[in-house]
Amino acid sequence: MNIYQPHLMRIREITDETVDTRTLKLEFEDPGLAGQFQFAAGQFGEYSVFGEGESTFCIASPPTRSGYIECSFKATGKVTQALRRLSVGDTVGFRGPYGNHFPLDEMKGHSIVFIAGGIGLAPVRAVIWNVLDLRDQFKDVTIIYGARSVGDLVYKRELEEWGKRPDVKLCLAVDPGGETPEWKGLVARIPTAVEQTVTTAEDTFAVICGPPIMIKFTLPVLDKLGFPGDRIYTTLENRMKCGLGKCGRCNIGPTYVCKDGPVFTAAQMRKLPQEF
Amino acid sequence: MTHKYLSQQGLASLVGELLAAGTRVIAPVRAKDDAEQVDYQLIDSFADAAFGVRLPRRSLKEFFLPATEVLLHYKQTKSGVEIREVPTVAPPQVILGATPCDVAGLAAVDKVMNWDYRDELWFGRRDATTIVSFLCNIMDATCFCTALGLGPESFTGSDVMLAPVDGGYLAYLVTERGEALLKGHGEEASSETIAHADAARKEARSKVEPNLEAIPAEFSTWLASNFDNPLWKTIALRCHGCGACAAVCPTCHCFDIVDEHISTDEGVRRRNWDSCQTSLFTLHASGHNPRASQSERFRQRIQHKFSIYPSRFGELLCTGCGRCSRACPGGMDLPTIVSELVTLSQAKTEVSGQ
Repeated sequence: MNIYQPHLMRIREITDETVDTRTLKLEFEDPGLAGQFQFAAGQFGEYSVFGEGESTFCIASPPTRSGYIECSFKATGKVTQALRRLSVGDTVGFRGPYGNHFPLDEMKGHSIVFIAGGIGLAPVRAVIWNVLDLRDQFKDVTIIYGARSVGDLVYKRELEEWGKRPDVKLCLAVDPGGETPEWKGLVARIPTAVEQTVTTAEDTFAVICGPPIMIKFTLPVLDKLGFPGDRIYTTLENRMKCGLGKCGRCNIGPTYVCKDGPVFTAAQMRKLPQEF
Repeated sequence: MTHKYLSQQGLASLVGELLAAGTRVIAPVRAKDDAEQVDYQLIDSFADAAFGVRLPRRSLKEFFLPATEVLLHYKQTKSGVEIREVPTVAPPQVILGATPCDVAGLAAVDKVMNWDYRDELWFGRRDATTIVSFLCNIMDATCFCTALGLGPESFTGSDVMLAPVDGGYLAYLVTERGEALLKGHGEEASSETIAHADAARKEARSKVEPNLEAIPAEFSTWLASNFDNPLWKTIALRCHGCGACAAVCPTCHCFDIVDEHISTDEGVRRRNWDSCQTSLFTLHASGHNPRASQSERFRQRIQHKFSIYPSRFGELLCTGCGRCSRACPGGMDLPTIVSELVTLSQAKTEVSGQ
């Protein structure tokens, strides 16, 4: 089997997160593989629809839940639109897991602040559930999540579940104008939500993912709170074809997102050339 | 290293034996569409080969990374999808009369194709191939291999190198694979013949050396710290973004992966050559493009060859064949550009804030 050949997976469940964002739950066709398959939170894969091509997404489910993986995607290009046409029971291809991961072992024994915007919650969600499945090994867990509007919030049932847990501090926010009459969360952008929710950086890691503009304006807030650059983790994405360091398109200067990433610290990210 | 003397007739009979045994033999052949041009092609007889005419139009990479190749076949069935694998074992082949720059290019791409994940399609072909290079005598003013740690006499990547001597060749047996190929062929070389060939190697080198001074080791780090230098904007003004440079380059290996229907239910996944010089190369589905302008794309090409690859693998991703300069419709000349950049680097010109 050459390195570009995918494993076959079946769609077991489809969840519509928003009008254009969908989550697929995938199971390996080969039961032997299903038992062997291992990954870490933050890693990604190449998902394919046969006849349409491959697309790169993170694995959005946590490694603590085995036997399946999930991916969340927005129908934007050729492959994602084809993925959206598939039904439960249909076959897709998957290659992976590729890339590095969030340093869960290093984070154990500490508090974590999760910050996500829009579909950026997908990779963060893998870490959140990983941490919550091992809840007693971590200190305080804070989740700050926002989207343009209430309708754009993804994983709504899980947000509700996190909100009910006494061991999770959840802060939800929507951009001004994106609220509904029933909205009980903040009406604010993410940097403001972080300022209002996080009080200390002591003994705490930050995991942040979202649109570049959100990250740009949130990092100074984290700096001000006293988070050192090597305790802020994010995950980058770039167009990829192979995921294996060969096709030559995901590099940002000397750094290959597929091999050196996709998970980077804010300190590492600041050293990258401004080409992403 | 051991040597052998191989007469012209001896080389012809070696090729005859290989062909008779069913081994694929690839050699420079006069192009059908242009008698002045030469292409690397499969040959049916020794007489087809045209050694020492000029640099073949395209490098050797297409014999290892074809311009388009099938990665897998798929078939939609009632119960799902069936995948048919493609073989990763290739038939044995011998490349005869390769230029040292093209051979060195393969050795450079090997490192990428073996970077943590081994590309079996590439190595299936590499492992099945024995390479017999020729001491280069077809250099011109655009060649600059000697500036890159290589040379027209360089053994890098060759199993055997043949240097023309009176009536035949001195064969330098570089690898065990090369020794095996010439087993039973050729005879012991006289010290005179060896001295003659060694002198020819030195002479070949002296013909390229004046074209470009050796690139200093510090150049790679200078490039890395001059990512935002405004020079990139002006340097790329004549670049059309056509990607011809990448197509003819012996070391450019970037590719795309696409699916192609054969019928409603069946199709193939293909790998096709691609180039960082085209505007779609890095375009995201969202419309965002990290390398939105041609200057950024040209910077990527130079940075990759002279800084990014060297930072990973300790050598340059350019063998100085000069094909990109010859192929460029905009007249971008890589040795001139590199030479200007090296001069700038030695003047310690850096952008403030870097």
